[in-house]
Amino acid sequence: MQSFDLTLVAGPPGVGKTTWISQFLKDASRPLFYLYPGADVSVDLARIGYRFPWVSVISDEQAPSILTDLPDQAQVFMELGFHLELESPFLAALPGRRIAILPPGLEQPEWRNWADEVMLGNNSQTLEADQLPEIWKSPLTGQVFDPPSLDEVLTELTRRAYGQVVRLKGIFELPDGQAFYVDFVEGLPGIEYTELKLPRWLEGRPNRFSGLEIVGHNLEQKTIVQTVLASCLADDVLFQYQQQYRQLQSEEETVEAETEREVVA
Amino acid sequence: MKLAVISCIHGNYEALNAVLSDIDAQKAEQIYCLGDLVGYGPYPNEVVERIRSLEIPSCQGCWDEDIVEGLNACECSYPSQIAEQRGKLAHEWTNNEIRPDIREYLATLPLSLKRDNLCFVHGSPNSQHEYLLPSMDGFAALERVLSADADVLFCGHTHVPYVRELEDAKLSVTVKSPAQTESPQQFEAPLKRIINAGSVGEPRHGRPNATYVLYDTETTQVTLREVTYDYEKTCQAILDKGLPSIFAWRLARGMEFAERADDPSHVCERLILNYHRC
Repeated sequence: MQSFDLTLVAGPPGVGKTTWISQFLKDASRPLFYLYPGADVSVDLARIGYRFPWVSVISDEQAPSILTDLPDQAQVFMELGFHLELESPFLAALPGRRIAILPPGLEQPEWRNWADEVMLGNNSQTLEADQLPEIWKSPLTGQVFDPPSLDEVLTELTRRAYGQVVRLKGIFELPDGQAFYVDFVEGLPGIEYTELKLPRWLEGRPNRFSGLEIVGHNLEQKTIVQTVLASCLADDVLFQYQQQYRQLQSEEETVEAETEREVVA
Repeated sequence: MKLAVISCIHGNYEALNAVLSDIDAQKAEQIYCLGDLVGYGPYPNEVVERIRSLEIPSCQGCWDEDIVEGLNACECSYPSQIAEQRGKLAHEWTNNEIRPDIREYLATLPLSLKRDNLCFVHGSPNSQHEYLLPSMDGFAALERVLSADADVLFCGHTHVPYVRELEDAKLSVTVKSPAQTESPQQFEAPLKRIINAGSVGEPRHGRPNATYVLYDTETTQVTLREVTYDYEKTCQAILDKGLPSIFAWRLARGMEFAERADDPSHVCERLILNYHRC
Protein backbone atom coordinates (compact mmCIF):
# COMPACT_ATOMS: atom_id res chain seq x y z
CA MET A 1 0.00 0.00 0.00
CA GLN A 2 1.26 3.47 -0.85
CA SER A 3 1.80 6.06 1.90
CA PHE A 4 -0.84 8.73 2.32
CA ASP A 5 -2.07 11.22 4.92
CA LEU A 6 -5.67 11.08 6.05
CA THR A 7 -7.15 13.94 8.06
CA LEU A 8 -10.61 13.55 9.55
CA VAL A 9 -12.34 16.80 10.48
CA ALA A 10 -15.46 16.93 12.66
CA GLY A 11 -17.47 19.56 14.50
CA PRO A 12 -20.86 21.25 14.74
CA PRO A 13 -22.43 22.98 11.74
CA GLY A 14 -21.01 26.38 10.80
CA VAL A 15 -17.87 26.05 12.89
CA GLY A 16 -15.55 26.30 9.87
CA LYS A 17 -14.63 22.73 8.95
CA THR A 18 -14.58 23.29 5.18
CA THR A 19 -12.73 26.58 5.60
CA TRP A 20 -10.09 24.89 7.77
CA ILE A 21 -9.61 22.12 5.20
CA SER A 22 -9.47 24.65 2.34
CA GLN A 23 -6.17 26.11 3.60
CA PHE A 24 -4.45 22.80 2.74
CA LEU A 25 -6.07 22.45 -0.66
CA LYS A 26 -4.28 25.45 -2.15
CA ASP A 27 -1.05 23.47 -2.53
CA ALA A 28 -1.45 21.46 -5.72
CA SER A 29 2.01 19.86 -5.54
CA ARG A 30 0.60 16.71 -3.88
CA PRO A 31 -2.39 14.63 -5.00
CA LEU A 32 -5.32 15.94 -2.96
CA PHE A 33 -8.61 14.21 -2.18
CA TYR A 34 -11.73 15.46 -0.43
CA LEU A 35 -14.61 13.41 0.92
CA TYR A 36 -17.80 14.28 2.74
CA PRO A 37 -19.39 10.94 3.71
CA GLY A 38 -23.17 10.80 3.58
CA ALA A 39 -23.46 13.83 1.34
CA ASP A 40 -23.73 12.86 -2.30
CA VAL A 41 -25.73 16.04 -2.97
CA SER A 42 -23.52 18.52 -1.22
CA VAL A 43 -22.81 22.21 -1.54
CA ASP A 44 -19.42 21.63 0.09
CA LEU A 45 -18.41 18.95 -2.41
CA ALA A 46 -19.32 21.27 -5.29
CA ARG A 47 -17.71 24.30 -3.69
CA ILE A 48 -14.41 22.46 -3.16
CA GLY A 49 -14.55 21.19 -6.74
CA TYR A 50 -15.21 24.67 -8.15
CA ARG A 51 -12.62 26.41 -6.01
CA PHE A 52 -9.85 23.83 -6.25
CA PRO A 53 -10.23 22.07 -9.59
CA TRP A 54 -7.04 20.06 -8.96
CA VAL A 55 -8.58 18.36 -5.91
CA SER A 56 -10.30 15.01 -6.49
CA VAL A 57 -13.72 15.27 -4.92
CA ILE A 58 -14.89 11.76 -4.07
CA SER A 59 -18.47 10.62 -3.69
CA ASP A 60 -19.50 7.87 -1.26
CA GLU A 61 -19.89 5.48 -4.16
CA GLN A 62 -16.35 6.05 -5.45
CA ALA A 63 -14.75 6.10 -1.98
CA PRO A 64 -14.07 2.36 -1.42
CA SER A 65 -12.23 1.86 -4.72
CA ILE A 66 -10.32 5.16 -4.66
CA LEU A 67 -9.25 4.93 -1.01
CA THR A 68 -7.70 1.51 -1.57
CA ASP A 69 -5.73 2.71 -4.55
CA LEU A 70 -4.41 6.13 -3.67
CA PRO A 71 -1.29 7.52 -5.34
CA ASP A 72 1.89 7.94 -3.36
CA GLN A 73 2.04 11.09 -1.18
CA ALA A 74 -1.71 11.55 -1.44
CA GLN A 75 -3.32 13.84 1.09
CA VAL A 76 -6.91 12.97 1.95
CA PHE A 77 -9.34 15.19 3.84
CA MET A 78 -12.56 13.74 5.14
CA GLU A 79 -15.15 16.16 6.48
CA LEU A 80 -17.53 14.58 8.97
CA GLY A 81 -20.93 16.21 9.35
CA PHE A 82 -22.46 16.56 12.80
CA HIS A 83 -25.04 13.92 11.93
CA LEU A 84 -22.42 11.13 11.66
CA GLU A 85 -21.76 8.74 14.53
CA LEU A 86 -18.04 9.25 15.21
CA GLU A 87 -17.69 5.96 17.06
CA SER A 88 -19.13 3.95 14.18
CA PRO A 89 -16.95 0.95 13.17
CA PHE A 90 -16.23 2.51 9.75
CA LEU A 91 -14.97 5.83 11.11
CA ALA A 92 -13.25 4.27 14.12
CA ALA A 93 -11.24 2.00 11.83
CA LEU A 94 -9.88 4.82 9.67
CA PRO A 95 -6.18 5.47 10.35
CA GLY A 96 -5.86 9.22 10.34
CA ARG A 97 -5.31 12.42 12.25
CA ARG A 98 -8.54 13.46 13.97
CA ILE A 99 -9.30 17.13 14.22
CA ALA A 100 -12.33 18.49 16.07
CA ILE A 101 -13.21 22.11 15.40
CA LEU A 102 -15.42 23.49 18.14
CA PRO A 103 -16.89 26.89 18.95
CA PRO A 104 -15.60 28.57 22.10
CA GLY A 105 -17.26 27.24 25.24
CA LEU A 106 -18.89 24.17 23.72
CA GLU A 107 -18.54 21.33 26.22
CA GLN A 108 -19.59 18.41 24.03
CA PRO A 109 -17.44 15.46 25.22
CA GLU A 110 -18.25 13.42 22.09
CA TRP A 111 -15.94 15.49 19.87
CA ARG A 112 -13.30 16.11 22.53
CA ASN A 113 -12.94 12.41 23.34
CA TRP A 114 -12.76 11.46 19.69
CA ALA A 115 -10.21 14.04 18.57
CA ASP A 116 -6.41 13.93 18.58
CA GLU A 117 -6.46 17.69 18.39
CA VAL A 118 -9.14 20.29 19.18
CA MET A 119 -9.17 23.58 17.27
CA LEU A 120 -11.08 26.71 18.09
CA GLY A 121 -13.62 27.52 15.39
CA ASN A 122 -16.30 30.11 14.68
CA ASN A 123 -18.52 31.19 17.53
CA SER A 124 -21.50 29.48 15.91
CA GLN A 125 -24.57 28.88 18.04
CA THR A 126 -25.93 26.02 16.04
CA LEU A 127 -26.08 23.38 18.75
CA GLU A 128 -27.75 25.21 21.59
CA ALA A 129 -31.09 23.42 21.43
CA ASP A 130 -31.57 20.12 23.26
CA GLN A 131 -32.12 18.07 20.14
CA LEU A 132 -29.95 17.74 17.05
CA PRO A 133 -31.13 19.94 14.18
CA GLU A 134 -32.56 18.50 10.98
CA ILE A 135 -30.85 18.82 7.59
CA TRP A 136 -32.75 19.79 4.46
CA LYS A 137 -31.05 19.70 1.07
CA SER A 138 -32.20 20.52 -2.38
CA PRO A 139 -30.25 20.40 -5.63
CA LEU A 140 -31.04 23.46 -7.77
CA THR A 141 -29.02 22.58 -10.86
CA GLY A 142 -30.48 24.37 -13.88
CA GLN A 143 -32.33 26.96 -11.81
CA VAL A 144 -31.39 30.62 -12.21
CA PHE A 145 -32.51 33.16 -9.63
CA ASP A 146 -34.02 36.61 -9.80
CA PRO A 147 -31.32 38.38 -7.69
CA PRO A 148 -33.57 40.65 -5.53
CA SER A 149 -35.96 37.75 -4.91
CA LEU A 150 -33.09 35.51 -3.85
CA ASP A 151 -31.88 38.21 -1.49
CA GLU A 152 -35.35 38.53 0.04
CA VAL A 153 -35.83 34.78 0.42
CA LEU A 154 -32.44 34.38 2.09
CA THR A 155 -33.33 37.19 4.51
CA GLU A 156 -36.63 35.50 5.36
CA LEU A 157 -34.99 32.09 5.75
CA THR A 158 -32.20 33.29 8.00
CA ARG A 159 -34.56 35.43 10.08
CA ARG A 160 -36.67 32.35 10.81
CA ALA A 161 -39.73 32.93 8.64
CA TYR A 162 -39.87 29.22 7.82
CA GLY A 163 -38.43 27.66 10.98
CA GLN A 164 -35.26 28.14 12.97
CA VAL A 165 -32.40 28.07 10.48
CA VAL A 166 -29.05 27.69 12.24
CA ARG A 167 -26.94 27.08 9.16
CA LEU A 168 -27.52 27.77 5.50
CA LYS A 169 -25.18 27.29 2.59
CA GLY A 170 -25.92 27.32 -1.06
CA ILE A 171 -24.63 27.74 -4.57
CA PHE A 172 -26.90 29.90 -6.72
CA GLU A 173 -26.83 30.79 -10.39
CA LEU A 174 -27.69 34.35 -11.44
CA PRO A 175 -28.93 35.61 -14.82
CA ASP A 176 -25.63 37.34 -15.65
CA GLY A 177 -24.06 33.87 -15.78
CA GLN A 178 -22.24 34.12 -12.45
CA ALA A 179 -22.57 31.61 -9.64
CA PHE A 180 -22.38 32.60 -5.97
CA TYR A 181 -21.64 30.69 -2.80
CA VAL A 182 -23.84 31.86 0.06
CA ASP A 183 -23.07 31.16 3.69
CA PHE A 184 -24.99 31.84 6.90
CA VAL A 185 -24.22 30.67 10.42
CA GLU A 186 -26.42 31.56 13.38
CA GLY A 187 -24.39 33.59 15.85
CA LEU A 188 -22.18 35.13 13.17
CA PRO A 189 -23.10 38.46 11.58
CA GLY A 190 -24.87 38.64 8.22
CA ILE A 191 -25.04 36.44 5.16
CA GLU A 192 -21.79 35.99 3.22
CA TYR A 193 -21.81 36.02 -0.60
CA THR A 194 -18.75 34.81 -2.50
CA GLU A 195 -18.49 34.85 -6.26
CA LEU A 196 -17.30 31.51 -7.60
CA LYS A 197 -14.62 31.78 -10.25
CA LEU A 198 -16.48 29.88 -12.92
CA PRO A 199 -17.03 30.64 -16.60
CA ARG A 200 -20.14 32.76 -17.13
CA TRP A 201 -23.07 30.58 -18.21
CA LEU A 202 -25.04 32.60 -20.74
CA GLU A 203 -26.50 29.88 -22.99
CA GLY A 204 -29.59 28.21 -21.55
CA ARG A 205 -29.92 26.64 -18.14
CA PRO A 206 -26.57 26.00 -16.40
CA ASN A 207 -25.58 22.37 -16.48
CA ARG A 208 -23.40 22.45 -13.36
CA PHE A 209 -24.25 21.81 -9.72
CA SER A 210 -26.07 24.39 -7.66
CA GLY A 211 -28.06 23.71 -4.53
CA LEU A 212 -29.21 24.71 -1.08
CA GLU A 213 -28.61 23.12 2.31
CA ILE A 214 -30.31 24.18 5.50
CA VAL A 215 -29.72 22.95 9.03
CA GLY A 216 -32.31 23.91 11.60
CA HIS A 217 -35.33 23.13 13.72
CA ASN A 218 -39.01 22.94 12.75
CA LEU A 219 -38.26 23.71 9.13
CA GLU A 220 -41.35 24.29 6.99
CA GLN A 221 -39.96 22.35 4.09
CA LYS A 222 -42.96 22.62 1.76
CA THR A 223 -43.13 26.41 2.12
CA ILE A 224 -39.35 26.69 1.71
CA VAL A 225 -39.55 24.78 -1.58
CA GLN A 226 -42.44 26.96 -2.82
CA THR A 227 -40.67 30.17 -1.85
CA VAL A 228 -37.33 29.17 -3.35
CA LEU A 229 -38.98 28.11 -6.61
CA ALA A 230 -40.96 31.36 -6.72
CA SER A 231 -37.61 33.17 -6.96
CA CYS A 232 -36.41 31.19 -9.98
CA LEU A 233 -36.64 32.64 -13.48
CA ALA A 234 -38.92 31.20 -16.16
CA ASP A 235 -37.40 30.17 -19.50
CA ASP A 236 -38.51 33.25 -21.44
CA VAL A 237 -37.26 35.69 -18.78
CA LEU A 238 -33.94 33.87 -18.52
CA PHE A 239 -33.59 33.93 -22.30
CA GLN A 240 -34.11 37.71 -22.37
CA TYR A 241 -31.57 38.28 -19.60
CA GLN A 242 -28.98 36.05 -21.26
CA GLN A 243 -29.45 37.78 -24.59
CA GLN A 244 -28.78 41.18 -22.95
CA TYR A 245 -25.75 39.93 -21.02
CA ARG A 246 -24.28 38.26 -24.12
CA GLN A 247 -24.61 41.53 -26.00
CA LEU A 248 -23.02 43.43 -23.13
CA GLN A 249 -20.20 40.90 -22.93
CA SER A 250 -19.50 41.17 -26.63
CA GLU A 251 -19.46 44.99 -26.43
CA GLU A 252 -17.03 44.82 -23.51
CA GLU A 253 -14.78 42.45 -25.44
CA THR A 254 -14.79 44.81 -28.43
CA VAL A 255 -13.79 47.77 -26.24
CA GLU A 256 -11.06 45.70 -24.59
CA ALA A 257 -9.70 44.58 -27.97
CA GLU A 258 -9.67 48.16 -29.25
CA THR A 259 -7.90 49.40 -26.12
CA GLU A 260 -5.32 46.65 -26.51
CA ARG A 261 -4.73 47.59 -30.16
CA GLU A 262 -4.29 51.24 -29.17
CA VAL A 263 -1.77 50.31 -26.46
CA VAL A 264 0.21 48.17 -28.92
CA ALA A 265 0.15 50.95 -31.54
CA MET B 1 -54.62 74.40 13.16
CA LYS B 2 -53.30 70.96 13.96
CA LEU B 3 -53.62 68.47 11.10
CA ALA B 4 -53.06 64.73 11.21
CA VAL B 5 -51.95 63.06 7.97
CA ILE B 6 -52.27 59.30 7.64
CA SER B 7 -51.42 57.00 4.74
CA CYS B 8 -51.10 53.41 3.56
CA ILE B 9 -53.52 51.66 5.91
CA HIS B 10 -53.65 48.55 3.72
CA GLY B 11 -56.63 46.89 5.35
CA ASN B 12 -55.07 46.92 8.82
CA TYR B 13 -58.06 47.83 10.98
CA GLU B 14 -56.32 47.41 14.33
CA ALA B 15 -53.58 49.81 13.32
CA LEU B 16 -56.09 52.36 12.01
CA ASN B 17 -58.06 52.34 15.25
CA ALA B 18 -54.92 52.80 17.31
CA VAL B 19 -53.85 55.74 15.15
CA LEU B 20 -57.28 57.36 15.31
CA SER B 21 -57.18 57.11 19.12
CA ASP B 22 -53.74 58.68 19.15
CA ILE B 23 -54.91 61.48 16.85
CA ASP B 24 -57.77 62.12 19.30
CA ALA B 25 -55.34 62.24 22.18
CA GLN B 26 -53.11 64.66 20.25
CA LYS B 27 -56.15 66.89 19.66
CA ALA B 28 -55.72 67.18 15.91
CA GLU B 29 -58.60 69.11 14.37
CA GLN B 30 -58.53 67.67 10.87
CA ILE B 31 -57.34 64.38 9.41
CA TYR B 32 -56.18 63.85 5.82
CA CYS B 33 -55.58 60.43 4.33
CA LEU B 34 -53.15 59.79 1.47
CA GLY B 35 -54.70 56.59 0.19
CA ASP B 36 -53.91 52.89 -0.05
CA LEU B 37 -56.78 52.04 2.22
CA VAL B 38 -56.79 48.48 0.92
CA GLY B 39 -54.38 45.78 -0.22
CA TYR B 40 -52.42 43.07 1.65
CA GLY B 41 -54.29 43.47 4.95
CA PRO B 42 -57.27 41.41 6.14
CA TYR B 43 -59.91 44.14 6.61
CA PRO B 44 -60.23 46.23 3.43
CA ASN B 45 -64.01 46.83 3.72
CA GLU B 46 -63.87 47.75 7.40
CA VAL B 47 -61.03 50.22 6.89
CA VAL B 48 -62.79 52.00 4.02
CA GLU B 49 -66.06 52.11 5.98
CA ARG B 50 -64.30 53.73 8.92
CA ILE B 51 -62.58 56.37 6.76
CA ARG B 52 -65.82 57.07 4.93
CA SER B 53 -67.96 57.25 8.07
CA LEU B 54 -65.53 59.72 9.67
CA GLU B 55 -65.58 61.78 6.45
CA ILE B 56 -61.81 61.90 6.31
CA PRO B 57 -60.72 63.56 3.04
CA SER B 58 -58.66 60.95 1.22
CA CYS B 59 -56.63 60.64 -1.99
CA GLN B 60 -56.65 57.55 -4.10
CA GLY B 61 -53.61 55.31 -3.61
CA CYS B 62 -52.13 52.90 -6.13
CA TRP B 63 -53.75 49.90 -4.48
CA ASP B 64 -57.13 51.67 -4.39
CA GLU B 65 -56.75 52.46 -8.09
CA ASP B 66 -55.85 48.87 -8.95
CA ILE B 67 -58.97 47.63 -7.14
CA VAL B 68 -61.08 50.07 -9.17
CA GLU B 69 -59.43 49.70 -12.56
CA GLY B 70 -57.75 46.31 -12.39
CA LEU B 71 -54.13 45.50 -11.76
CA ASN B 72 -51.97 47.62 -14.04
CA ALA B 73 -48.86 48.33 -12.06
CA CYS B 74 -45.65 49.88 -13.24
CA GLU B 75 -42.47 47.83 -12.90
CA CYS B 76 -41.48 50.03 -9.96
CA SER B 77 -44.35 48.63 -7.93
CA TYR B 78 -42.50 45.37 -7.54
CA PRO B 79 -38.75 45.34 -7.12
CA SER B 80 -38.51 41.57 -7.35
CA GLN B 81 -40.24 38.61 -8.93
CA ILE B 82 -41.32 37.19 -5.60
CA ALA B 83 -42.73 40.56 -4.47
CA GLU B 84 -44.72 40.70 -7.69
CA GLN B 85 -46.17 37.24 -7.14
CA ARG B 86 -47.14 38.15 -3.59
CA GLY B 87 -48.57 41.48 -4.69
CA LYS B 88 -50.71 39.83 -7.33
CA LEU B 89 -51.95 37.30 -4.83
CA ALA B 90 -52.88 40.06 -2.40
CA HIS B 91 -54.59 41.99 -5.18
CA GLU B 92 -56.65 38.95 -6.19
CA TRP B 93 -57.68 38.27 -2.59
CA THR B 94 -58.66 41.90 -1.98
CA ASN B 95 -60.48 42.09 -5.30
CA ASN B 96 -62.64 39.10 -4.31
CA GLU B 97 -63.21 40.39 -0.79
CA ILE B 98 -64.17 43.98 -1.56
CA ARG B 99 -67.88 44.94 -1.57
CA PRO B 100 -69.35 46.78 -4.59
CA ASP B 101 -70.18 49.92 -2.56
CA ILE B 102 -66.60 50.03 -1.25
CA ARG B 103 -65.22 49.73 -4.77
CA GLU B 104 -67.51 52.56 -5.86
CA TYR B 105 -66.29 54.74 -3.01
CA LEU B 106 -62.63 54.08 -3.92
CA ALA B 107 -63.42 55.13 -7.50
CA THR B 108 -64.58 58.54 -6.28
CA LEU B 109 -61.32 59.39 -4.51
CA PRO B 110 -59.30 62.23 -6.06
CA LEU B 111 -55.62 61.91 -7.00
CA SER B 112 -54.69 64.91 -4.89
CA LEU B 113 -56.12 67.26 -2.29
CA LYS B 114 -55.20 70.90 -1.69
CA ARG B 115 -55.49 73.12 1.36
CA ASP B 116 -53.93 76.57 1.05
CA ASN B 117 -50.21 76.00 0.45
CA LEU B 118 -50.42 72.30 1.29
CA CYS B 119 -50.86 69.50 -1.20
CA PHE B 120 -51.70 65.89 -0.35
CA VAL B 121 -50.91 63.03 -2.73
CA HIS B 122 -50.31 59.31 -2.43
CA GLY B 123 -47.07 58.82 -4.38
CA SER B 124 -46.19 62.03 -6.19
CA PRO B 125 -48.21 64.81 -7.85
CA ASN B 126 -47.71 62.97 -11.14
CA SER B 127 -48.67 59.44 -10.23
CA GLN B 128 -49.93 57.35 -7.33
CA HIS B 129 -47.29 54.81 -8.31
CA GLU B 130 -44.23 57.03 -8.17
CA TYR B 131 -42.00 56.84 -5.10
CA LEU B 132 -40.63 60.05 -3.64
CA LEU B 133 -37.78 58.45 -1.73
CA PRO B 134 -35.78 60.61 0.69
CA SER B 135 -32.67 59.98 -1.41
CA MET B 136 -34.32 61.20 -4.61
CA ASP B 137 -32.32 63.72 -6.63
CA GLY B 138 -32.90 67.24 -5.22
CA PHE B 139 -33.83 68.74 -8.57
CA ALA B 140 -36.48 66.08 -9.21
CA ALA B 141 -37.82 66.39 -5.66
CA LEU B 142 -38.17 70.15 -6.00
CA GLU B 143 -39.81 69.75 -9.40
CA ARG B 144 -42.46 67.51 -7.82
CA VAL B 145 -43.27 70.09 -5.12
CA LEU B 146 -43.35 72.97 -7.60
CA SER B 147 -45.59 71.00 -9.96
CA ALA B 148 -48.08 70.65 -7.11
CA ASP B 149 -48.09 74.45 -6.68
CA ALA B 150 -47.53 74.02 -2.96
CA ASP B 151 -45.02 74.82 -0.24
CA VAL B 152 -45.55 71.57 1.57
CA LEU B 153 -46.15 68.31 -0.23
CA PHE B 154 -47.51 65.44 1.87
CA CYS B 155 -46.99 61.98 0.42
CA GLY B 156 -46.96 58.34 1.45
CA HIS B 157 -46.34 55.21 -0.64
CA THR B 158 -42.76 54.54 0.55
CA HIS B 159 -43.98 53.39 4.00
CA VAL B 160 -41.04 55.09 5.66
CA PRO B 161 -41.83 58.50 7.19
CA TYR B 162 -39.49 61.40 6.61
CA VAL B 163 -39.32 65.19 6.36
CA ARG B 164 -37.21 66.65 3.57
CA GLU B 165 -36.49 70.37 3.41
CA LEU B 166 -35.52 71.90 0.08
CA GLU B 167 -33.87 75.18 1.02
CA ASP B 168 -32.66 78.08 -1.15
CA ALA B 169 -33.49 76.16 -4.26
CA LYS B 170 -32.13 77.60 -7.49
CA LEU B 171 -33.11 76.06 -10.78
CA SER B 172 -31.39 76.82 -14.04
CA VAL B 173 -33.22 75.72 -17.16
CA THR B 174 -32.16 76.08 -20.78
CA VAL B 175 -35.03 75.90 -23.24
CA LYS B 176 -34.16 74.77 -26.76
CA SER B 177 -36.65 74.91 -29.58
CA PRO B 178 -36.23 75.03 -33.37
CA ALA B 179 -37.90 78.44 -33.62
CA GLN B 180 -35.94 80.15 -30.88
CA THR B 181 -32.38 80.48 -29.77
CA GLU B 182 -31.32 78.88 -26.50
CA SER B 183 -32.74 80.83 -23.57
CA PRO B 184 -31.34 80.06 -20.13
CA GLN B 185 -33.78 80.82 -17.34
CA GLN B 186 -33.24 80.82 -13.60
CA PHE B 187 -35.84 80.22 -10.92
CA GLU B 188 -35.56 80.63 -7.20
CA ALA B 189 -37.90 78.83 -4.87
CA PRO B 190 -38.40 79.56 -1.17
CA LEU B 191 -38.24 76.77 1.37
CA LYS B 192 -40.25 73.77 0.23
CA ARG B 193 -40.95 70.63 2.15
CA ILE B 194 -41.81 67.05 1.41
CA ILE B 195 -43.39 65.28 4.35
CA ASN B 196 -43.88 61.55 4.11
CA ALA B 197 -46.50 60.20 6.51
CA GLY B 198 -45.12 56.66 6.59
CA SER B 199 -47.65 53.88 6.87
CA VAL B 200 -50.42 53.11 9.32
CA GLY B 201 -50.88 49.47 8.40
CA GLU B 202 -47.77 48.28 6.64
CA PRO B 203 -44.66 49.86 8.15
CA ARG B 204 -41.20 49.33 6.82
CA HIS B 205 -39.07 50.82 9.55
CA GLY B 206 -38.15 47.56 11.24
CA ARG B 207 -40.88 47.68 13.90
CA PRO B 208 -44.56 46.78 13.58
CA ASN B 209 -45.74 50.16 14.90
CA ALA B 210 -48.00 52.42 12.86
CA THR B 211 -46.70 55.83 11.81
CA TYR B 212 -48.38 59.10 10.81
CA VAL B 213 -47.61 62.83 11.03
CA LEU B 214 -49.00 65.86 12.81
CA TYR B 215 -48.62 69.25 11.15
CA ASP B 216 -49.31 72.61 12.74
CA THR B 217 -50.37 75.09 10.06
CA GLU B 218 -49.53 78.09 12.31
CA THR B 219 -46.03 77.08 13.40
CA THR B 220 -45.30 74.67 10.47
CA GLN B 221 -44.04 72.22 13.07
CA VAL B 222 -44.01 68.57 11.98
CA THR B 223 -44.25 65.68 14.42
CA LEU B 224 -43.69 62.12 13.26
CA ARG B 225 -45.80 59.83 15.43
CA GLU B 226 -45.14 56.15 15.99
CA VAL B 227 -48.04 54.26 17.56
CA THR B 228 -47.98 50.79 19.06
CA TYR B 229 -51.01 48.56 18.56
CA ASP B 230 -51.95 44.92 18.92
CA TYR B 231 -50.32 43.83 15.65
CA GLU B 232 -50.67 40.18 16.66
CA LYS B 233 -54.44 40.53 16.16
CA THR B 234 -53.84 41.64 12.58
CA CYS B 235 -51.35 38.81 12.09
CA GLN B 236 -53.93 36.31 13.34
CA ALA B 237 -56.58 37.78 11.03
CA ILE B 238 -54.17 37.44 8.08
CA LEU B 239 -53.89 33.72 8.84
CA ASP B 240 -57.61 33.28 9.57
CA LYS B 241 -58.60 34.89 6.30
CA GLY B 242 -56.29 32.68 4.27
CA LEU B 243 -53.74 35.29 3.26
CA PRO B 244 -50.13 34.02 3.02
CA SER B 245 -48.55 33.51 6.44
CA ILE B 246 -45.43 35.36 5.26
CA PHE B 247 -47.52 38.58 5.32
CA ALA B 248 -48.05 38.10 9.06
CA TRP B 249 -44.40 37.29 9.62
CA ARG B 250 -43.26 40.41 7.78
CA LEU B 251 -45.83 42.68 9.44
CA ALA B 252 -44.63 41.60 12.87
CA ARG B 253 -41.12 42.72 11.93
CA GLY B 254 -41.97 46.00 10.25
CA MET B 255 -40.86 44.62 6.90
CA GLU B 256 -44.05 45.28 4.92
CA PHE B 257 -46.11 42.43 3.51
CA ALA B 258 -44.07 42.50 0.31
CA GLU B 259 -41.44 45.09 -0.54
CA ARG B 260 -41.12 48.62 -1.80
CA ALA B 261 -39.13 49.95 -4.71
CA ASP B 262 -35.82 51.39 -3.60
CA ASP B 263 -34.38 53.03 -6.67
CA PRO B 264 -34.57 56.80 -6.19
CA SER B 265 -33.67 57.48 -9.82
CA HIS B 266 -36.47 55.37 -11.23
CA VAL B 267 -39.16 57.24 -13.11
CA CYS B 268 -42.50 55.54 -12.84
CA GLU B 269 -43.71 54.14 -16.18
CA ARG B 270 -47.25 54.91 -15.16
CA LEU B 271 -46.26 58.56 -15.28
CA ILE B 272 -45.25 58.19 -18.92
CA LEU B 273 -48.50 56.38 -19.69
CA ASN B 274 -50.50 59.17 -18.08
CA TYR B 275 -48.70 61.77 -20.16
CA HIS B 276 -49.44 59.77 -23.28
CA ARG B 277 -53.12 59.62 -22.38
CA CYS B 278 -53.14 63.41 -22.11
